[in-house]
Amino acid sequence: MTSPSLKRSLACLWWVLMAFLYLPLAVVVLFSFNSINSSALFESFSLRWYERLWGNEQIMASLGHSLVLAIISSVIAVVIGTLMGYGLYRYRARRLGWLIVLIYLPIVMPDIVFGISNMTFFVRLSSLTGWLSPGLGTMVLSHVTFQIPFVALIAYSRFLGLDATLFDAAKDLYASPFDRARHFIVPSIKPALVSAFFLSFTLSIDDFVISFFTAGPESSTLPIYIWGAIRKGVTPEINAIASLMIAAVAVAAVISLAFTRSKGSDASR
Amino acid sequence: MSKRPFERSVRQLRFRETRHLLLTTLPGAFWIVLFLVLPSLYLVSMAFLTNGTYGQPSLPLTFDAFRQLAGFGFLGWSPGNLYTLLRSLWQTVVATALVVVIAYPIAYYITLCRQSLRPIMLLLVVVPSWTNQVIRAFGWMNLLAPDTPLSNLAQSLGLIAPHMGLFPSSFAVTLGLIYNFLPFMVLPLYAAFEKLDTTLVEAARDLYASPLKAFWVAVFPQTLPGLLAGIVLVAVPAFGMYVVPELLGGGRSLMIGNLVASQFAGGSNWPYGAAASLLMLVATLLGIFLLRRLGRRAGGGEEVVI
Repeated sequence: MTSPSLKRSLACLWWVLMAFLYLPLAVVVLFSFNSINSSALFESFSLRWYERLWGNEQIMASLGHSLVLAIISSVIAVVIGTLMGYGLYRYRARRLGWLIVLIYLPIVMPDIVFGISNMTFFVRLSSLTGWLSPGLGTMVLSHVTFQIPFVALIAYSRFLGLDATLFDAAKDLYASPFDRARHFIVPSIKPALVSAFFLSFTLSIDDFVISFFTAGPESSTLPIYIWGAIRKGVTPEINAIASLMIAAVAVAAVISLAFTRSKGSDASR
Repeated sequence: MSKRPFERSVRQLRFRETRHLLLTTLPGAFWIVLFLVLPSLYLVSMAFLTNGTYGQPSLPLTFDAFRQLAGFGFLGWSPGNLYTLLRSLWQTVVATALVVVIAYPIAYYITLCRQSLRPIMLLLVVVPSWTNQVIRAFGWMNLLAPDTPLSNLAQSLGLIAPHMGLFPSSFAVTLGLIYNFLPFMVLPLYAAFEKLDTTLVEAARDLYASPLKAFWVAVFPQTLPGLLAGIVLVAVPAFGMYVVPELLGGGRSLMIGNLVASQFAGGSNWPYGAAASLLMLVATLLGIFLLRRLGRRAGGGEEVVI
């Protein structure tokens, strides 16, 4: 159906796209090994910027904040989101339009409005009540908000992939809903739960705008630190820490590929 | 008479189901309402307040913020804000159009490749968007800065003045937007191409349609749901982009997201920032509405989106 010449030019376009997508990242990684402080001229290979990272307390603290934030928020989001996905699946015959709108809201909401609405809300709440002053706690709340929809949709699509009669069988087998959850529901969507956790984790680590506006003075994450460093004038350590984050993403990509390979046509993305 | 117990048990079952539905979905729904819907309403309500002396919103209720958004300030009308709005719209339209032009053939190409290669190819398209957007913008800053190969090339072609870089510029902003949102277009388009019914194309060819005509009547309509989903997924977040114009625009080609942020970051004028946020929210809700409406009409499901 497709002529060979069309396919060849499409292949060309593909490789141009790959260059376009990976060149900016490659440049960051390349200059992280630069021996001089320049992002235009590469002199020789060195690891000095990586060595400087370990000594930088601010970077280490931000890294800690990023990880704590990502882990705590992902755990909460996986629990709440899976429950939600399950409810969406069991009662998909009913009119759940309002729920669908609610789920899409955090996905489509512009980050900046999301972040600023949370900031003003938390600032107001803390001035009224004394709780929820901006910091890691409020950041967890905000992150869970944008993670829930992704988890719910992943769980939902995994449930759709299951044989619907299994649910009736499980109902006959296990009397209590908790037994059903423990012996049937959770085991049968385990791969989806793992990928939902990883996705939530990545979303949290990746997020800049919402974190930026909900962060307190003592809770800056890695992206916030990098942002600040770029604005103040680039230091080459930024290349090094950014390269480590790119490496982490590459590892996540390989894991995700291994998962899709082993699961065949897994319903989750 | 004998219907009574039956009816009651149906009602009981219905009640149990509703309780179960609420038990499972309420925690998530409650969370989103509490930490997104309420804050947004609070923010939006601020747009109708007056800007207080200390940058804090206060009574009375006015439309001042909206008048200011339209360009009416202390010194009469000025077009600055309208430029920002138009620039946001223009950047969104250009970036979305270019993303479509790139993603459409790419999505088609992926479906041409071997089944076993496709997940890897999709992953390769998506992986850059997993890295932090600040880092991505930083990568482009490095690539497009003065005295880099790309900037030198542009200089020798006479596209930019000597000793200038391709960054900061509105060109860099467009590039950054395309880079950020390309995967959002490739994924739904790929889903549409994968489901493509090729017998229609054969039928069109059998009826002596030219390749172009065959594409137009047999392929394009089938990919339309994916295309529309992609356009909404790209255009809505592109319109509200904050990081890319801030870093790659170098403070000169700001978009509405930056306008909002500057009103809050400096604490200068919250009602004004809230009015601009309201505008962005309206655009967002319109986007969701369109997506659902078009998705339903085109018969595509929600699965196109994720």
